Amino acid sequence: MATVSLSEMIPAQRQTLWGWPAVANFVLGGMGAGWYVVALLAAGFERSPGVTVATWAAPALVLAGFAAVAGEAGRPLRGPRVLTRLRTSWMSRELLIGLAFVLLVVADLVFPLRLHRVQAAVAALLLALAQGFIVRRARGVTAWDVPLVPLLFVLSALLSGAGAYFLVEAASGRPPLPAAVGGVLLLIVVGYMAWSRYLAWRPEEAYRRAVAPLREGPAGTVIDAAGYGVPLLLGLLALAAPVTAAPLLGLAGALLVAGQVCAKARLILDASRLRPITLGIEMSRRRSS
Amino acid sequence: MTRWGMAIDVKRCVGCQTCTIACKQEHGLPAETVWRFVADCEVGEYPDVRRLFLPMQCMHCAEPPCVPVCPTGASRQRPDGIVWVHYDHCVGCGYCAVACPYQARHLIHTANGYFDRPTPSEAAQARPERHGVMTKCTFCKERVDEGLARGLRPGTDADATPMCAVACIAGAIVFGDLDDATSRVARLAADPRAQVLMSECGTEPRVYYLAD
Repeated sequence: MATVSLSEMIPAQRQTLWGWPAVANFVLGGMGAGWYVVALLAAGFERSPGVTVATWAAPALVLAGFAAVAGEAGRPLRGPRVLTRLRTSWMSRELLIGLAFVLLVVADLVFPLRLHRVQAAVAALLLALAQGFIVRRARGVTAWDVPLVPLLFVLSALLSGAGAYFLVEAASGRPPLPAAVGGVLLLIVVGYMAWSRYLAWRPEEAYRRAVAPLREGPAGTVIDAAGYGVPLLLGLLALAAPVTAAPLLGLAGALLVAGQVCAKARLILDASRLRPITLGIEMSRRRSS
Repeated sequence: MTRWGMAIDVKRCVGCQTCTIACKQEHGLPAETVWRFVADCEVGEYPDVRRLFLPMQCMHCAEPPCVPVCPTGASRQRPDGIVWVHYDHCVGCGYCAVACPYQARHLIHTANGYFDRPTPSEAAQARPERHGVMTKCTFCKERVDEGLARGLRPGTDADATPMCAVACIAGAIVFGDLDDATSRVARLAADPRAQVLMSECGTEPRVYYLAD
């Protein structure tokens, strides 16, 4: 008897073209964008010491990310050409939005206006979204070609940005207001729900194997604990005992950053198995002896 | 309208890698770079096991995921369906390679030679414009175009046909115009045994495999 079945001809292998420079771009760009948005939201879009720090740090982080990834390109001097395919390429859009973000933040420094800050915050969110779509459109990689990835990148940017904000504010002796802490805790819960949904997005074995580096081993524990669980607990403790808020939120911030960095690094470097090559093959059934 | 495509009869392929070497020679590819290769595959489980050879290359998809993601427009698709890279425009970001489900794109970081110094052959075939940029199978578009200009018929006349198809010792690789119903490749593509790799990706490959 013969049956035609889909056979795995070439096993999935990890992509090797995007390494740490790409991780740096996604981590620094996302964190910079998220930090700026969180700082503005916490201050009600008014100028505050926290906003001032974010105003200087966020564009620097975004530009550092671009510089890192440019170093990975084979012909970095052709970088300006990246702006030529805005209609189809999310990489082109990311660069344009990133530059617009930097210019808007600089505009706010020179001519402080609430409108500039609102526009810069929108650009920051779009930057995180564009980074997510870059990964989403990489259809050769099983764990990246998932509709939830752009949302994950936005949430990760906000969480890592909130971590940086908490860390700097706590270190400066300005513990964030309870409302801001409550908002971030809600964000952590939403982020974890999205992350869990992503890890179980498809039931196929190839997908399960592809996302295994994010779910299993020490990295899986670090992402779950540092990226979500422990910061949530520390945030709740800070709300319950305001006297200890500064050190608790500082630690929560550091863990949030570490967890989100770990998640993005593992996603790009390890959960990056290319699709296995499959072909329908007719197999004849023999009786084993 | 011409629509170039290929049909590969997996049962005819003997895994000799002649197509791999012919392609490498035709395009002067540096060490560690091949635009096509023949995978040696074992499928099934004991005792129902088969050994197959699967020639792999760019599928020249009708809906190539590598083209729209390219941030510089270096990855392009011709009206006749050939997908290619304009080396002078490529920034070497690697995005097209991770967008391709068929692992068909190859970034040439540096032109490695097989020895400490380039051999005379390597020096003669050096293509500095390909350093640091993405490269891939072009369906030997230069041979096809020059052949057409000379009035030859790609797929029938060797001088107008991709080198892999010309060199194949088993006649497993057939090239031609998929829109020409009289062409051999069109007939093979219409064979009930013909299938494309990973049709679930929706890329509409123009390389057909005849597996059984």
